[in-house]
Amino acid sequence: MITLELFLNAVVAGLMLGGFYAAVALGLSITFGQLDIVNIAHPTFVILGSFVAYILNQNFGIDPVLIGVVFMPVFYLIGTTLYRVYYVSFERTGQESLSGLAFFFGLMFIIEVVLILTFGVDYRLVNAAYIGKTLHIGFLDMPFRMLVPAIAATIMTGAVVLYMTKTFMGKAIMAVSQDRLALQLMGADPIKVKRIALGIAIATASLAGALLIIIQPVEPSVGRLYIGRIFAIVVLGGMGSISGTFVAAILIGVVESFIATFYGPSWAPAVGFGILLLTLAIRPQGIFGRA
Amino acid sequence: MGNSITVKDVEAGYGSVRVLHGVSLTVNDGETVVMLGSNGNGKSTLIKCITGLVEPSAGEITAEINGESINLIGKTPEEIVDLGIAMVPEGRRLFPALTVEENLTLGAYRPEARAKIDENMKFVFETFPRLEERRKQLAGSMSGGEQQMVAVARALMSDPKILLVDEPSVGLAPILVSQMIAKIKELKDIKNLTVLMAEQNFNQAIKIADRGYIIVHGQIEFEGEDTAALENNDMIKQYYLGV
Repeated sequence: MITLELFLNAVVAGLMLGGFYAAVALGLSITFGQLDIVNIAHPTFVILGSFVAYILNQNFGIDPVLIGVVFMPVFYLIGTTLYRVYYVSFERTGQESLSGLAFFFGLMFIIEVVLILTFGVDYRLVNAAYIGKTLHIGFLDMPFRMLVPAIAATIMTGAVVLYMTKTFMGKAIMAVSQDRLALQLMGADPIKVKRIALGIAIATASLAGALLIIIQPVEPSVGRLYIGRIFAIVVLGGMGSISGTFVAAILIGVVESFIATFYGPSWAPAVGFGILLLTLAIRPQGIFGRA
Repeated sequence: MGNSITVKDVEAGYGSVRVLHGVSLTVNDGETVVMLGSNGNGKSTLIKCITGLVEPSAGEITAEINGESINLIGKTPEEIVDLGIAMVPEGRRLFPALTVEENLTLGAYRPEARAKIDENMKFVFETFPRLEERRKQLAGSMSGGEQQMVAVARALMSDPKILLVDEPSVGLAPILVSQMIAKIKELKDIKNLTVLMAEQNFNQAIKIADRGYIIVHGQIEFEGEDTAALENNDMIKQYYLGV
Protein backbone atom coordinates (compact mmCIF):
# COMPACT_ATOMS: atom_id res chain seq x y z
CA MET A 1 0.00 0.00 0.00
CA ILE A 2 1.54 3.26 -1.14
CA THR A 3 0.57 6.11 1.11
CA LEU A 4 0.84 9.76 0.09
CA GLU A 5 3.25 10.29 2.97
CA LEU A 6 5.61 7.59 1.77
CA PHE A 7 5.29 8.78 -1.81
CA LEU A 8 6.18 12.41 -1.00
CA ASN A 9 9.05 11.37 1.24
CA ALA A 10 10.43 9.26 -1.59
CA VAL A 11 10.20 12.28 -3.91
CA VAL A 12 11.99 14.57 -1.47
CA ALA A 13 14.67 11.98 -0.72
CA GLY A 14 15.17 11.53 -4.45
CA LEU A 15 15.49 15.28 -5.06
CA MET A 16 18.19 15.51 -2.41
CA LEU A 17 20.02 12.44 -3.71
CA GLY A 18 19.80 13.80 -7.26
CA GLY A 19 21.18 17.14 -6.15
CA PHE A 20 24.21 15.37 -4.79
CA TYR A 21 24.61 13.31 -7.99
CA ALA A 22 24.64 16.61 -9.88
CA ALA A 23 27.66 17.75 -7.86
CA VAL A 24 29.60 14.61 -8.79
CA ALA A 25 28.47 14.67 -12.46
CA LEU A 26 29.10 18.42 -12.94
CA GLY A 27 32.84 18.07 -13.49
CA LEU A 28 32.35 15.22 -15.92
CA SER A 29 29.73 17.27 -17.74
CA ILE A 30 32.48 19.81 -18.44
CA THR A 31 35.29 17.38 -19.36
CA PHE A 32 33.29 14.73 -21.20
CA GLY A 33 30.35 16.87 -22.35
CA GLN A 34 32.17 20.05 -23.39
CA LEU A 35 35.80 19.07 -24.01
CA ASP A 36 35.40 15.49 -25.28
CA ILE A 37 37.92 14.38 -22.65
CA VAL A 38 36.89 11.01 -21.21
CA ASN A 39 37.97 11.71 -17.66
CA ILE A 40 37.17 8.36 -16.14
CA ALA A 41 39.24 9.41 -13.11
CA HIS A 42 36.75 12.13 -12.14
CA PRO A 43 35.10 10.15 -9.29
CA THR A 44 38.58 9.46 -7.92
CA PHE A 45 39.21 13.21 -7.68
CA VAL A 46 35.91 13.39 -5.81
CA ILE A 47 37.25 10.78 -3.36
CA LEU A 48 40.43 12.85 -3.06
CA GLY A 49 38.15 15.75 -2.10
CA SER A 50 36.50 13.52 0.51
CA PHE A 51 39.85 12.68 2.09
CA VAL A 52 40.93 16.34 2.17
CA ALA A 53 37.68 17.07 3.99
CA TYR A 54 38.26 14.09 6.28
CA ILE A 55 41.81 15.12 7.28
CA LEU A 56 40.97 18.75 8.01
CA ASN A 57 37.68 17.92 9.69
CA GLN A 58 39.19 15.28 11.98
CA ASN A 59 42.27 17.33 12.88
CA PHE A 60 40.86 20.83 13.11
CA GLY A 61 37.10 20.30 13.27
CA ILE A 62 36.50 22.53 10.25
CA ASP A 63 33.12 22.23 8.53
CA PRO A 64 33.40 19.86 5.54
CA VAL A 65 31.46 22.13 3.15
CA LEU A 66 33.77 25.01 3.99
CA ILE A 67 36.80 22.78 3.36
CA GLY A 68 35.36 21.74 0.02
CA VAL A 69 34.91 25.36 -1.06
CA VAL A 70 38.28 26.57 0.25
CA PHE A 71 40.16 23.78 -1.53
CA MET A 72 38.59 24.52 -4.91
CA PRO A 73 41.53 26.70 -6.05
CA VAL A 74 43.95 23.89 -5.15
CA PHE A 75 41.91 21.39 -7.17
CA TYR A 76 41.69 23.97 -9.97
CA LEU A 77 45.49 23.99 -10.12
CA ILE A 78 45.56 20.19 -10.13
CA GLY A 79 43.16 20.32 -13.08
CA THR A 80 45.16 22.87 -15.09
CA THR A 81 48.38 20.93 -14.44
CA LEU A 82 46.64 17.74 -15.49
CA TYR A 83 45.62 19.38 -18.77
CA ARG A 84 49.18 20.47 -19.47
CA VAL A 85 50.36 16.87 -19.10
CA TYR A 86 47.42 15.53 -21.11
CA TYR A 87 47.97 18.08 -23.88
CA VAL A 88 51.71 17.56 -24.22
CA SER A 89 51.51 13.77 -23.99
CA PHE A 90 48.42 12.98 -26.04
CA GLU A 91 46.33 15.76 -27.51
CA ARG A 92 49.17 17.53 -29.34
CA THR A 93 50.01 14.33 -31.18
CA GLY A 94 46.39 13.40 -31.79
CA GLN A 95 46.46 10.30 -29.60
CA GLU A 96 43.92 11.43 -27.07
CA SER A 97 41.12 8.98 -27.83
CA LEU A 98 42.75 5.73 -26.79
CA SER A 99 45.97 6.71 -25.01
CA GLY A 100 44.13 9.52 -23.23
CA LEU A 101 41.57 7.08 -21.88
CA ALA A 102 44.36 4.79 -20.68
CA PHE A 103 46.01 7.82 -19.06
CA PHE A 104 42.93 8.68 -17.01
CA PHE A 105 42.39 5.03 -16.17
CA GLY A 106 45.95 4.81 -14.87
CA LEU A 107 45.55 8.07 -13.02
CA MET A 108 42.46 6.67 -11.31
CA PHE A 109 44.40 3.66 -10.04
CA ILE A 110 47.39 5.71 -8.93
CA ILE A 111 45.28 8.11 -6.84
CA GLU A 112 43.32 5.19 -5.42
CA VAL A 113 46.43 3.20 -4.50
CA VAL A 114 48.11 6.23 -2.93
CA LEU A 115 44.98 6.81 -0.84
CA ILE A 116 44.85 3.14 0.19
CA LEU A 117 48.55 3.13 1.15
CA THR A 118 48.07 6.30 3.16
CA PHE A 119 44.71 5.73 4.80
CA GLY A 120 44.02 2.00 4.41
CA VAL A 121 40.71 0.60 3.26
CA ASP A 122 38.71 1.57 6.34
CA TYR A 123 35.63 3.72 5.92
CA ARG A 124 36.21 7.30 7.08
CA LEU A 125 33.68 9.90 8.05
CA VAL A 126 33.40 13.53 9.09
CA ASN A 127 31.70 15.24 12.01
CA ALA A 128 29.55 18.33 11.91
CA ALA A 129 26.81 19.54 14.22
CA TYR A 130 24.08 19.06 11.61
CA ILE A 131 25.02 15.50 10.57
CA GLY A 132 22.55 13.13 12.23
CA LYS A 133 19.87 15.80 12.65
CA THR A 134 16.74 15.90 10.56
CA LEU A 135 14.53 18.76 9.42
CA HIS A 136 10.83 17.90 9.80
CA ILE A 137 8.31 19.80 7.71
CA GLY A 138 4.89 18.27 8.30
CA PHE A 139 5.33 14.60 7.51
CA LEU A 140 8.39 15.25 5.33
CA ASP A 141 11.72 14.16 6.76
CA MET A 142 14.83 15.86 5.43
CA PRO A 143 18.03 14.65 7.06
CA PHE A 144 20.61 17.46 7.03
CA ARG A 145 23.27 15.07 5.82
CA MET A 146 21.26 14.92 2.54
CA LEU A 147 19.79 18.42 2.53
CA VAL A 148 23.07 20.32 2.96
CA PRO A 149 24.83 18.53 0.06
CA ALA A 150 21.79 19.02 -2.19
CA ILE A 151 21.70 22.77 -1.52
CA ALA A 152 25.47 23.17 -1.90
CA ALA A 153 25.39 21.18 -5.15
CA THR A 154 22.57 23.30 -6.56
CA ILE A 155 24.43 26.52 -5.78
CA MET A 156 27.63 25.16 -7.35
CA THR A 157 25.79 24.03 -10.50
CA GLY A 158 24.06 27.41 -10.77
CA ALA A 159 27.39 29.20 -10.49
CA VAL A 160 28.95 27.06 -13.23
CA VAL A 161 25.92 27.54 -15.53
CA LEU A 162 26.17 31.33 -15.03
CA TYR A 163 29.88 31.24 -15.79
CA MET A 164 29.38 29.19 -18.95
CA THR A 165 26.55 31.30 -20.34
CA LYS A 166 27.50 34.80 -19.22
CA THR A 167 31.25 35.04 -19.67
CA PHE A 168 33.35 35.02 -22.82
CA MET A 169 35.55 32.26 -21.43
CA GLY A 170 32.46 30.17 -20.65
CA LYS A 171 31.19 30.51 -24.21
CA ALA A 172 34.66 29.68 -25.51
CA ILE A 173 34.60 26.51 -23.37
CA MET A 174 31.27 25.55 -24.96
CA ALA A 175 32.73 26.18 -28.43
CA VAL A 176 36.20 24.69 -28.14
CA SER A 177 35.39 21.09 -29.06
CA GLN A 178 33.14 22.18 -31.94
CA ASP A 179 35.82 23.95 -33.97
CA ARG A 180 39.13 24.85 -32.38
CA LEU A 181 40.46 26.56 -35.51
CA ALA A 182 37.43 28.84 -35.64
CA LEU A 183 37.97 29.63 -31.97
CA GLN A 184 41.51 30.74 -32.77
CA LEU A 185 40.05 33.06 -35.38
CA MET A 186 37.95 34.62 -32.61
CA GLY A 187 41.18 35.45 -30.83
CA ALA A 188 40.94 32.73 -28.17
CA ASP A 189 43.69 30.25 -27.45
CA PRO A 190 42.02 26.78 -27.46
CA ILE A 191 44.70 25.25 -25.26
CA LYS A 192 44.22 27.91 -22.60
CA VAL A 193 40.44 27.54 -22.86
CA LYS A 194 40.65 23.77 -22.31
CA ARG A 195 43.14 24.22 -19.48
CA ILE A 196 40.79 26.53 -17.63
CA ALA A 197 37.83 24.22 -18.31
CA LEU A 198 39.61 21.17 -16.91
CA GLY A 199 40.67 23.29 -13.93
CA ILE A 200 37.04 24.20 -13.22
CA ALA A 201 35.95 20.57 -13.69
CA ILE A 202 38.44 19.26 -11.15
CA ALA A 203 37.67 22.16 -8.79
CA THR A 204 34.07 20.95 -8.57
CA ALA A 205 35.39 17.58 -7.33
CA SER A 206 36.73 19.30 -4.21
CA LEU A 207 33.26 20.30 -3.06
CA ALA A 208 31.59 17.15 -4.44
CA GLY A 209 34.01 15.05 -2.38
CA ALA A 210 33.23 16.98 0.78
CA LEU A 211 29.52 16.49 0.12
CA LEU A 212 30.01 12.76 -0.46
CA ILE A 213 31.68 12.22 2.90
CA ILE A 214 28.87 14.12 4.61
CA ILE A 215 26.35 11.72 3.07
CA GLN A 216 28.19 8.44 3.60
CA PRO A 217 31.44 7.04 5.02
CA VAL A 218 34.13 6.89 2.35
CA GLU A 219 36.96 4.50 1.54
CA PRO A 220 39.40 4.99 -1.38
CA SER A 221 37.69 2.80 -3.98
CA VAL A 222 34.11 3.94 -3.34
CA GLY A 223 34.40 6.30 -6.33
CA ARG A 224 34.12 3.36 -8.72
CA LEU A 225 30.45 3.03 -7.82
CA TYR A 226 29.90 6.46 -9.37
CA ILE A 227 31.71 6.01 -12.71
CA GLY A 228 28.86 4.35 -14.55
CA ARG A 229 26.19 6.44 -12.89
CA ILE A 230 27.70 9.84 -13.68
CA PHE A 231 28.53 8.94 -17.29
CA ALA A 232 24.89 7.86 -17.60
CA ILE A 233 23.75 11.18 -16.10
CA VAL A 234 25.89 13.28 -18.47
CA VAL A 235 24.72 11.38 -21.55
CA LEU A 236 21.11 11.37 -20.37
CA GLY A 237 21.15 15.13 -19.78
CA GLY A 238 22.65 15.78 -23.18
CA MET A 239 26.31 16.21 -24.03
CA GLY A 240 27.41 19.78 -23.55
CA SER A 241 24.42 20.88 -21.48
CA ILE A 242 25.20 21.56 -17.84
CA SER A 243 21.60 22.34 -16.93
CA GLY A 244 20.73 19.07 -18.67
CA THR A 245 23.19 17.23 -16.44
CA PHE A 246 21.51 18.76 -13.39
CA VAL A 247 18.02 17.73 -14.53
CA ALA A 248 19.21 14.22 -15.40
CA ALA A 249 20.90 13.90 -11.99
CA ILE A 250 17.67 14.88 -10.25
CA LEU A 251 15.70 12.46 -12.42
CA ILE A 252 18.02 9.56 -11.66
CA GLY A 253 17.97 10.49 -7.97
CA VAL A 254 14.17 10.51 -7.79
CA VAL A 255 13.81 7.25 -9.72
CA GLU A 256 16.43 5.49 -7.61
CA SER A 257 14.72 6.75 -4.47
CA PHE A 258 11.36 5.39 -5.69
CA ILE A 259 12.80 2.03 -6.56
CA ALA A 260 14.64 1.85 -3.26
CA THR A 261 11.48 2.78 -1.34
CA PHE A 262 8.99 0.55 -3.14
CA TYR A 263 10.97 -2.36 -4.60
CA GLY A 264 14.28 -2.56 -2.80
CA PRO A 265 17.62 -0.77 -3.08
CA SER A 266 19.40 -3.47 -5.10
CA TRP A 267 17.33 -2.59 -8.19
CA ALA A 268 18.14 1.12 -8.08
CA PRO A 269 21.34 1.20 -10.22
CA ALA A 270 19.80 -0.97 -12.95
CA VAL A 271 16.87 1.39 -13.26
CA GLY A 272 19.17 4.38 -13.83
CA PHE A 273 20.70 2.66 -16.84
CA GLY A 274 17.27 1.53 -17.97
CA ILE A 275 16.14 5.15 -18.14
CA LEU A 276 19.30 6.03 -20.04
CA LEU A 277 18.71 3.35 -22.68
CA LEU A 278 15.05 4.27 -23.02
CA THR A 279 15.82 7.97 -23.37
CA LEU A 280 18.54 7.39 -25.94
CA ALA A 281 16.18 5.24 -27.98
CA ILE A 282 13.62 8.07 -28.14
CA ARG A 283 15.92 11.09 -28.02
CA PRO A 284 19.51 10.19 -28.94
CA GLN A 285 20.93 13.61 -28.08
CA GLY A 286 19.75 13.35 -24.47
CA ILE A 287 17.15 15.45 -22.66
CA PHE A 288 18.74 18.86 -23.26
CA GLY A 289 21.21 17.88 -25.96
CA ARG A 290 21.62 20.35 -28.77
CA ALA A 291 20.87 18.87 -32.19
CA MET B 1 46.19 56.27 -39.92
CA GLY B 2 46.35 53.51 -42.47
CA ASN B 3 45.50 49.85 -42.28
CA SER B 4 47.26 47.73 -44.85
CA ILE B 5 48.94 44.41 -45.50
CA THR B 6 52.21 43.73 -47.27
CA VAL B 7 53.22 40.22 -48.24
CA LYS B 8 56.72 39.83 -49.62
CA ASP B 9 58.31 36.73 -51.20
CA VAL B 10 56.33 34.35 -49.03
CA GLU B 11 56.95 30.64 -49.35
CA ALA B 12 54.82 28.16 -47.48
CA GLY B 13 53.42 24.67 -47.59
CA TYR B 14 52.24 21.67 -45.66
CA GLY B 15 54.91 19.13 -44.78
CA SER B 16 57.01 18.48 -47.85
CA VAL B 17 54.40 19.95 -50.21
CA ARG B 18 55.28 23.50 -51.24
CA VAL B 19 52.19 25.56 -51.98
CA LEU B 20 53.40 29.15 -52.22
CA HIS B 21 56.54 29.98 -54.20
CA GLY B 22 57.55 33.54 -53.42
CA VAL B 23 54.22 35.37 -53.35
CA SER B 24 54.18 39.15 -52.96
CA LEU B 25 51.13 41.30 -52.75
CA THR B 26 49.89 44.44 -51.04
CA VAL B 27 46.53 45.61 -49.85
CA ASN B 28 46.54 49.36 -49.31
CA ASP B 29 44.46 51.30 -46.82
CA GLY B 30 40.78 51.17 -47.67
CA GLU B 31 41.21 48.99 -50.73
CA THR B 32 39.30 45.88 -51.71
CA VAL B 33 41.77 43.55 -53.31
CA VAL B 34 40.76 40.24 -54.82
CA MET B 35 42.95 37.23 -55.21
CA LEU B 36 41.71 35.16 -58.13
CA GLY B 37 42.55 31.58 -58.88
CA SER B 38 40.94 28.20 -59.06
CA ASN B 39 41.11 25.52 -56.38
CA GLY B 40 44.50 24.38 -55.17
CA ASN B 41 46.52 27.38 -56.30
CA GLY B 42 47.33 28.70 -52.84
CA LYS B 43 44.73 31.40 -52.12
CA SER B 44 43.62 29.92 -48.83
CA THR B 45 47.18 29.11 -47.82
CA LEU B 46 48.19 32.73 -48.29
CA ILE B 47 45.26 33.92 -46.16
CA LYS B 48 46.20 31.35 -43.52
CA CYS B 49 49.76 32.69 -43.56
CA ILE B 50 48.47 36.20 -42.88
CA THR B 51 46.33 35.01 -39.95
CA GLY B 52 49.12 32.88 -38.49
CA LEU B 53 47.40 29.54 -39.05
CA VAL B 54 50.21 28.49 -41.40
CA GLU B 55 53.78 29.56 -40.76
CA PRO B 56 55.65 30.62 -43.92
CA SER B 57 59.08 29.03 -44.45
CA ALA B 58 60.40 32.24 -45.98
CA GLY B 59 59.32 35.80 -46.69
CA GLU B 60 57.83 38.72 -44.81
CA ILE B 61 54.29 39.59 -43.84
CA THR B 62 53.64 42.95 -42.25
CA ALA B 63 50.46 44.71 -41.34
CA GLU B 64 50.00 48.38 -40.77
CA ILE B 65 47.38 49.01 -38.10
CA ASN B 66 46.43 52.62 -37.44
CA GLY B 67 49.67 53.61 -39.13
CA GLU B 68 51.84 51.37 -36.99
CA SER B 69 53.82 48.72 -38.84
CA ILE B 70 53.73 45.26 -37.25
CA ASN B 71 55.56 42.10 -38.27
CA LEU B 72 53.05 39.24 -38.38
CA ILE B 73 55.55 36.40 -38.85
CA GLY B 74 55.80 34.27 -35.71
CA LYS B 75 52.65 35.68 -34.15
CA THR B 76 49.87 33.30 -33.08
CA PRO B 77 46.42 33.57 -34.71
CA GLU B 78 45.12 34.94 -31.39
CA GLU B 79 47.67 37.75 -31.38
CA ILE B 80 46.90 38.60 -35.01
CA VAL B 81 43.15 38.71 -34.34
CA ASP B 82 43.89 40.96 -31.36
CA LEU B 83 45.50 43.47 -33.73
CA GLY B 84 42.19 43.91 -35.55
CA ILE B 85 42.59 41.47 -38.42
CA ALA B 86 39.52 39.28 -38.86
CA MET B 87 39.02 36.34 -41.16
CA VAL B 88 35.90 34.82 -42.65
CA PRO B 89 37.15 31.27 -43.19
CA GLU B 90 36.36 29.08 -46.15
CA GLY B 91 33.45 26.79 -45.36
CA ARG B 92 32.25 29.29 -42.70
CA ARG B 93 33.52 27.29 -39.70
CA LEU B 94 30.65 28.26 -37.38
CA PHE B 95 30.08 26.67 -33.99
CA PRO B 96 27.14 24.52 -35.09
CA ALA B 97 25.77 23.65 -31.64
CA LEU B 98 25.81 27.27 -30.44
CA THR B 99 23.07 29.75 -31.26
CA VAL B 100 23.52 32.57 -33.75
CA GLU B 101 23.80 35.00 -30.87
CA GLU B 102 26.42 32.89 -29.08
CA ASN B 103 28.44 32.65 -32.31
CA LEU B 104 28.31 36.42 -32.69
CA THR B 105 29.25 37.00 -29.06
CA LEU B 106 32.32 34.82 -29.46
CA GLY B 107 33.25 37.00 -32.43
CA ALA B 108 33.74 39.81 -29.94
CA TYR B 109 36.18 37.79 -27.83
CA ARG B 110 39.18 40.09 -28.24
CA PRO B 111 39.37 42.69 -25.47
CA GLU B 112 38.97 45.73 -27.75
CA ALA B 113 35.81 44.27 -29.29
CA ARG B 114 34.19 43.38 -25.94
CA ALA B 115 33.80 47.04 -25.11
CA LYS B 116 31.85 47.60 -28.33
CA ILE B 117 29.81 44.42 -28.29
CA ASP B 118 26.36 46.05 -27.98
CA GLU B 119 27.05 48.57 -30.70
CA ASN B 120 28.45 45.97 -33.08
CA MET B 121 25.67 43.46 -32.37
CA LYS B 122 23.13 46.16 -33.24
CA PHE B 123 25.06 46.94 -36.41
CA VAL B 124 25.25 43.35 -37.67
CA PHE B 125 21.55 42.82 -36.92
CA GLU B 126 20.73 45.94 -38.95
CA THR B 127 22.92 44.64 -41.76
CA PHE B 128 21.51 41.11 -41.63
CA PRO B 129 17.95 41.38 -40.21
CA ARG B 130 17.54 37.67 -40.83
CA LEU B 131 20.07 36.95 -38.12
CA GLU B 132 18.15 38.96 -35.55
CA GLU B 133 15.01 36.93 -36.30
CA ARG B 134 17.04 33.74 -35.83
CA ARG B 135 19.29 34.81 -32.99
CA LYS B 136 18.20 31.90 -30.77
CA GLN B 137 18.52 29.28 -33.50
CA LEU B 138 21.45 26.88 -33.57
CA ALA B 139 23.90 27.96 -36.25
CA GLY B 140 24.23 24.41 -37.57
CA SER B 141 20.52 24.26 -38.40
CA MET B 142 20.54 27.29 -40.71
CA SER B 143 20.73 27.35 -44.50
CA GLY B 144 24.04 27.86 -46.28
CA GLY B 145 23.30 31.48 -47.11
CA GLU B 146 22.32 32.28 -43.54
CA GLN B 147 25.42 30.53 -42.24
CA GLN B 148 27.57 32.67 -44.51
CA MET B 149 25.83 35.75 -43.04
CA VAL B 150 26.71 34.52 -39.54
CA ALA B 151 30.32 33.96 -40.60
CA VAL B 152 30.65 37.48 -41.98
CA ALA B 153 28.76 39.02 -39.05
CA ARG B 154 30.89 37.10 -36.56
CA ALA B 155 34.07 38.47 -38.15
CA LEU B 156 32.65 41.98 -37.92
CA MET B 157 31.90 41.51 -34.22
CA SER B 158 35.66 41.56 -33.63
CA ASP B 159 35.59 45.20 -34.74
CA PRO B 160 38.29 44.62 -37.38
CA LYS B 161 40.27 47.11 -39.39
CA ILE B 162 41.35 44.54 -41.93
CA LEU B 163 38.99 41.84 -43.17
CA LEU B 164 40.21 38.69 -44.91
CA VAL B 165 37.48 36.79 -46.74
CA ASP B 166 38.20 33.30 -48.01
CA GLU B 167 35.87 32.12 -50.79
CA PRO B 168 32.58 33.64 -49.66
CA SER B 169 30.81 32.09 -52.65
CA VAL B 170 31.55 28.43 -51.85
CA GLY B 171 28.39 26.36 -51.59
CA LEU B 172 26.00 29.25 -52.22
CA ALA B 173 23.35 29.59 -54.91
CA PRO B 174 24.29 32.22 -57.56
CA ILE B 175 21.72 34.75 -56.32
CA LEU B 176 23.09 34.46 -52.79
CA VAL B 177 26.67 34.84 -54.01
CA SER B 178 25.69 38.09 -55.66
CA GLN B 179 23.96 39.33 -52.48
CA MET B 180 26.85 38.30 -50.26
CA ILE B 181 29.42 40.05 -52.44
CA ALA B 182 27.31 43.22 -52.44
CA LYS B 183 27.02 42.99 -48.66
CA ILE B 184 30.78 42.78 -48.23
CA LYS B 185 31.14 45.95 -50.32
CA GLU B 186 28.47 47.71 -48.24
CA LEU B 187 30.13 46.70 -44.96
CA LYS B 188 33.53 47.72 -46.22
CA ASP B 189 32.25 51.20 -47.06
CA ILE B 190 30.41 51.73 -43.77
CA LYS B 191 33.20 50.39 -41.57
CA ASN B 192 36.11 51.74 -43.63
CA LEU B 193 37.63 48.32 -43.85
CA THR B 194 40.63 47.17 -45.80
CA VAL B 195 39.58 43.95 -47.52
CA LEU B 196 41.49 41.05 -49.04
CA MET B 197 39.22 38.49 -50.66
CA ALA B 198 40.13 35.13 -52.15
CA GLU B 199 37.61 34.07 -54.75
CA GLN B 200 37.29 31.90 -57.80
CA ASN B 201 34.10 33.50 -59.03
CA PHE B 202 35.66 36.19 -61.21
CA ASN B 203 32.46 37.83 -62.40
CA GLN B 204 31.20 38.37 -58.87
CA ALA B 205 34.51 39.35 -57.31
CA ILE B 206 35.23 41.93 -59.97
CA LYS B 207 32.05 43.84 -59.01
CA ILE B 208 33.53 45.07 -55.77
CA ALA B 209 37.29 44.82 -56.28
CA ASP B 210 39.49 47.87 -56.71
CA ARG B 211 42.21 45.72 -58.17
CA GLY B 212 43.38 42.14 -58.06
CA TYR B 213 45.94 39.43 -58.48
CA ILE B 214 45.78 36.16 -60.33
CA ILE B 215 47.48 33.35 -58.48
CA VAL B 216 48.45 30.17 -60.33
CA HIS B 217 50.37 27.25 -58.82
CA GLY B 218 51.45 29.31 -55.86
CA GLN B 219 52.78 32.27 -57.83
CA ILE B 220 51.33 35.63 -58.73
CA GLU B 221 50.90 35.39 -62.50
CA PHE B 222 49.27 38.74 -63.06
CA GLU B 223 48.66 41.93 -61.14
CA GLY B 224 45.78 44.02 -62.41
CA GLU B 225 45.94 47.69 -61.47
CA ASP B 226 42.20 48.03 -61.93
CA THR B 227 39.25 45.86 -62.87
CA ALA B 228 39.59 46.72 -66.56
CA ALA B 229 43.13 45.35 -66.58
CA LEU B 230 41.85 42.12 -65.06
CA GLU B 231 39.02 41.83 -67.54
CA ASN B 232 41.41 42.29 -70.46
CA ASN B 233 43.87 39.73 -69.18
CA ASP B 234 44.32 36.74 -71.46
CA MET B 235 44.23 34.24 -68.62
CA ILE B 236 40.98 35.64 -67.34
CA LYS B 237 39.51 35.64 -70.80
CA GLN B 238 40.55 32.05 -71.25
CA TYR B 239 39.53 30.63 -67.88
CA TYR B 240 36.59 32.71 -66.77
CA LEU B 241 35.07 34.55 -69.66
CA GLY B 242 35.39 31.83 -72.27
CA VAL B 243 36.51 34.32 -74.92
